[in-house]
Amino acid sequence: MLLADSMEGFLGFVILLLLFAAALTLLMNRDWRWTLAALAIQYFLAFLLITPSWPLELAAVKLVAGWMAGAVLGLTRLNLAEQPDEDGKRLPTTPAFLILASALVLLVVLGAGPALSSWARQISVDQVSGGLLLVGMGLLQVGLSSNSFRGIIGLLTLLSGFEILYAAVEASLLVAALLGILNLGIALAGSYLMLAPVLEPRE
Amino acid sequence: MSSAILWIVFPGMLGLGLLFYRRADRFPLAVVALTCLFLTWIAWQFPIDVVLTVGPFSFEIFPSLSFFGRSLTLSNVNRPLLSLVYFFQTLWVLGTVIAKPPRLFVPISLVCVSLFVAALSVDPFLYAPIFIVLAVLVLIPLLVPPGESAGPGALRFLIFQIIAVPFILFTGWILTGVEASPGNLTLTLRSGLLLLMGFTFLLALFPFHSWIPMLARESHPYVLGFLLFFLPTITMIFAISFFDRYAWLRESEFIYQIVALIGSLSILLSGLWAFVERHLARVLGFAAMLGVGFSLLGFSLTGADGVQIFFALLLPQLLGLWTMAVALGALWRKESEFNLKKLGNMFNSSPLAVCGLLLAVFSLAGIPSLGSFPPRLALFTKLAAGSTWAAVVALVGCLALAGAGVKIVSTILPKTGRKQSGWVEEVEPIDSETKSDLSDPYAWMFVVISGFGLLGLGLFSRLFLAGVPSLAAMFPLLFP
Repeated sequence: MLLADSMEGFLGFVILLLLFAAALTLLMNRDWRWTLAALAIQYFLAFLLITPSWPLELAAVKLVAGWMAGAVLGLTRLNLAEQPDEDGKRLPTTPAFLILASALVLLVVLGAGPALSSWARQISVDQVSGGLLLVGMGLLQVGLSSNSFRGIIGLLTLLSGFEILYAAVEASLLVAALLGILNLGIALAGSYLMLAPVLEPRE
Repeated sequence: MSSAILWIVFPGMLGLGLLFYRRADRFPLAVVALTCLFLTWIAWQFPIDVVLTVGPFSFEIFPSLSFFGRSLTLSNVNRPLLSLVYFFQTLWVLGTVIAKPPRLFVPISLVCVSLFVAALSVDPFLYAPIFIVLAVLVLIPLLVPPGESAGPGALRFLIFQIIAVPFILFTGWILTGVEASPGNLTLTLRSGLLLLMGFTFLLALFPFHSWIPMLARESHPYVLGFLLFFLPTITMIFAISFFDRYAWLRESEFIYQIVALIGSLSILLSGLWAFVERHLARVLGFAAMLGVGFSLLGFSLTGADGVQIFFALLLPQLLGLWTMAVALGALWRKESEFNLKKLGNMFNSSPLAVCGLLLAVFSLAGIPSLGSFPPRLALFTKLAAGSTWAAVVALVGCLALAGAGVKIVSTILPKTGRKQSGWVEEVEPIDSETKSDLSDPYAWMFVVISGFGLLGLGLFSRLFLAGVPSLAAMFPLLFP
């Protein structure tokens, strides 16, 4: 029993570390292909955190919706000419700054996670930590991005963090469907925002 | 037939279908306007959940539609609101004749309205923000038309609206705990704070309003007007549902004081910002913010009075916003740079649109004899008895918006008389594209409708606002 608990705790810690690595890649990597690969991994890890609360088939909805959102963004970027990332012009995006900011988010999460979990008993410490980490990293991404692609990635990250937390307290089929549609809708809106300048104007 | 199919699924599907209509004629406009009028009429005339017999035929509108284990419910108490929503949607669709927004406005706006109605009908009502945000996503192609780069305003708008969803959904979960143990102050405080944050984002209250002036510079003013018309209205009605549903919110004086404080602050700041603003579309944004502030202040009166004043304030506010958006849309066709300095000759080319604009600004400011004046007078009278500070602050905000209207008049009107230099009067060549809108029958219809509506609401408020109690009846616990 003790061994099983410690294994579970170790797995949770590994997932949290992998989530942090994926979110950090999303934040730091300037190549959209790596960014989308990290997003796909992030959705898979979020799926792992949701499975203790939801039936597998329902949790898979989130995974599929997330991957579809990534695919929509990927297909859009594939059809656009390579553009220089403009984030660096406006905001501090040096690796040192981003790592420090992310470390700050991780520290806050490690501090707040257990307290929040003891308050909301339905949510396990792993879920709270994973969810808060993605919310924090998503907010960081959204706050530091000035272009549509990065902003949308930040929003998707933020929302997947929230979904981990919310899944533990609400297992409604309708909410799962609506949040899946919302993820896809955000990706489609982002895709449109990226494509709008090259679309033919209509009168 | 289910009411949700009639007022949500059908218009939504129609809007989606019309997105694929490729010709640039007025067919979608005619279809959507007639559909919305039809839906307004049905909502006004036909009771829900009653079998109606017409000759050999009998039919019934069922109140609920189940899906995914939950339901969309529109019952008899929602009919006045449905009439109002689809009536105003008819106006928005007809206004496109003058304002000329992006071509997809008509179908997209219909999809958007159906999602807003879905937000008000979903049971449990806590899922409403997801529908609201879906409506926001649908609006993105109108805010950033094809061929134009997305500005920072559109992205910020999207971000702020989506951030609101987690706050409100989590509040819903915490509120069930508050209901179970109403004495738990920590839980109550947390849920209250989350709720406040969520609605601050959704309603674009200070300091999360920054996307409004940004979008005003980036988007077509008619689209912005549509957004600022429906989004805060539906969100505020959703917010009142919380008060109607949860007794601890309804009975907490402290919460109402916070609402009054936020409303007053919103009125004051938006009024002052409108006064110093030189961009007309941004004045529209600040006028909408001022209206939201008044609605919050009205609702803070608590109980039946609060709900009645809320709806009484809403009607002239909505008509004023529509009028202003149509006028700005018409002016946008001739001068897309809305800097006041460049509007000198606008009165020459579009006197009717400028008249509509001034009528709307002064009505939204609450000038006597115009639409917003009677409900605001009632509000000030009630506030003077208890919260004089709020009345004073709100009055300053109103005067500031009225000052913005005076500024527009002073900028536009003197340019109509041309200056003379030396002996020869300077005569500008008349551009065939900027001919006066006096010869445009649609512009005349617009001025007559808006003038009749705003003056009617101002002068015969008892007649025009007679439907307010039936609107308020959708909140049975607040308005018994």
